[in-house]
Amino acid sequence: MAETLQEKADEVLSRAILAAAEFQQFNQEQTDRVVEAVYKAGLNARIILAKMAVEETGIGIWQHKVWKNVIATQLVYESIINEKTVGVISNDSVTGITEIAQPLGPIFAVTPVTNPTSTAMYKILICLKTRNPIIISAHRGAAKCTAEAARICYEAALEAGAPEDCIQVISAGSRDFTQTVMAHPKVALILATGGTGLVRAAYSSGNPAIGVGPGNVPVFIDESADIPFAVSSIISSKTFDNGTICASEQSIIVEEKIELQVREEFARQHCYFLPPDEIKKVEKVAVVEETMSMSPFIVGQSVETIANKAGITVPEGTRILMAKLDGVGKNYPLSHEVLAPILAFYVAKNYNQAIHLCIDLNYLGGIGHSAGIYANDEKRILEFSQVINAGRIVVNTPTSQGAVGGTYNLLVPSLTLGCGTGGKNITTENITAKNLINIQRVCRRKMNDKYMSVNQDMYLDENSTESMLQFEYHKNH
Amino acid sequence: MVTIDISNTEKTMNCSFTGRLDTNASIQVGEEITNKMAAIKGKTDALFPIDIKIVFNLKDINFISSSFIRICMGTAKQVPPGNFCITNCDPFIKKTFKIAGLDGLLNVS
Repeated sequence: MAETLQEKADEVLSRAILAAAEFQQFNQEQTDRVVEAVYKAGLNARIILAKMAVEETGIGIWQHKVWKNVIATQLVYESIINEKTVGVISNDSVTGITEIAQPLGPIFAVTPVTNPTSTAMYKILICLKTRNPIIISAHRGAAKCTAEAARICYEAALEAGAPEDCIQVISAGSRDFTQTVMAHPKVALILATGGTGLVRAAYSSGNPAIGVGPGNVPVFIDESADIPFAVSSIISSKTFDNGTICASEQSIIVEEKIELQVREEFARQHCYFLPPDEIKKVEKVAVVEETMSMSPFIVGQSVETIANKAGITVPEGTRILMAKLDGVGKNYPLSHEVLAPILAFYVAKNYNQAIHLCIDLNYLGGIGHSAGIYANDEKRILEFSQVINAGRIVVNTPTSQGAVGGTYNLLVPSLTLGCGTGGKNITTENITAKNLINIQRVCRRKMNDKYMSVNQDMYLDENSTESMLQFEYHKNH
Repeated sequence: MVTIDISNTEKTMNCSFTGRLDTNASIQVGEEITNKMAAIKGKTDALFPIDIKIVFNLKDINFISSSFIRICMGTAKQVPPGNFCITNCDPFIKKTFKIAGLDGLLNVS
């Protein structure tokens, strides 16, 4: 008799639960030994996995995927290895509070097609560091390379003494099965990185979830910025892995007074401004008209491929297709998120209008994710940051690499970027090991003398006003 | 390194373990339990399941692997319900069975 989806999910989770039971007995040293072995194996496999990912998905550039694999292993490892994640992690004699870290249990991790092996290895490392078994559901377009990354990590983990089944990969391709596992009562947490639908499914499953969805990253170039530097930085970010990082720039916003200088700089650095008729052609292949979502056929593709699909001819060596737009929203398809080397370009009459545009773009599907500003005016940097709803506002930095952290700034290196409540997430942090532990607090008796010195009958007396109670509470005896 | 002491009467098989029941040790444990069960089956010519009580004494154990938990489950299945139990667990081992959701099924105390 054929196994039902529920029976298959039960089997996967019963293995994971046994792994969790064994894992929670590990001390910090044993745990770190496993993490070190996995990091080394992952880093050593960075090139083969990058090439596999590009070959299987047809997305991105293998050399850039190597860099992502390095972030996911070497930099993530460096950021977590000295973290205490087992047993007593802090002890404060002043407050009398001792914190104890406990694992969560089986974590169900969904990985995307755009960054498949790097996201898998990063999630494996932070799960193992916190003694949580991980069940990976790979995007069906990246099933083989994700499974290979998991296999390499699993073998290294077992060799270092990790529990059997501490890493499992479920067969990709069945949305129903993914949802059955997501809703399984033995799943402790879902770690979902992907599109809106996936993240929504994770949050609707009934299990706790950290789901991170799409962005739509506006980048403002202020008049105080070093324009050649800003343009060079933006290009290095937007062309990185053909624009597949969800924190990559989507729109560039400038004031009228520096438009010419910025345009010339983009042109000088081999970016091509599309004329209006070509913008229409690119829109048609880049964005699905009915849903205003990016077409999967252009995600992570080169400029040449996109130009061919759109039926346009661009100068040889073009690095980014630039589309000057007059508005934001459904009448302007390229104002939405497109993970490819295509950039919307906006010119505002003045600073105020520029910031209005940034807010509109930020709220067009990218709330809580990331934004960028190039400026040498601290006042403007802070103004911009306070009106933009983004977990990360990166300054004078390529947003792809800057938001991921670890290279251009001291943000925690992560392949899952929290988007706060705006993105229906529980946090705006770059997700890392500390997000995957339950912290127990042992609270020793420390009397609140001020509270105890108040005659408790006063709280029961309706004639006691707030000021009387405050006076008594703060009174020196 | 683990040591296993198995003794049995007609009605009861007592297994006491000492050491760390990691994956490698569990392989050794699994083989010894299987051999003993086979011997008991042959001796009594009993039909499956064997009508004896099995007690796993974990008094001197401070770590168990998932493989050992599987051995417990496999052994418990070979005797009538209620005839298998695990005794003298350290609280951390008790918690391990609790997390696995098997403390009731395996009569852990």
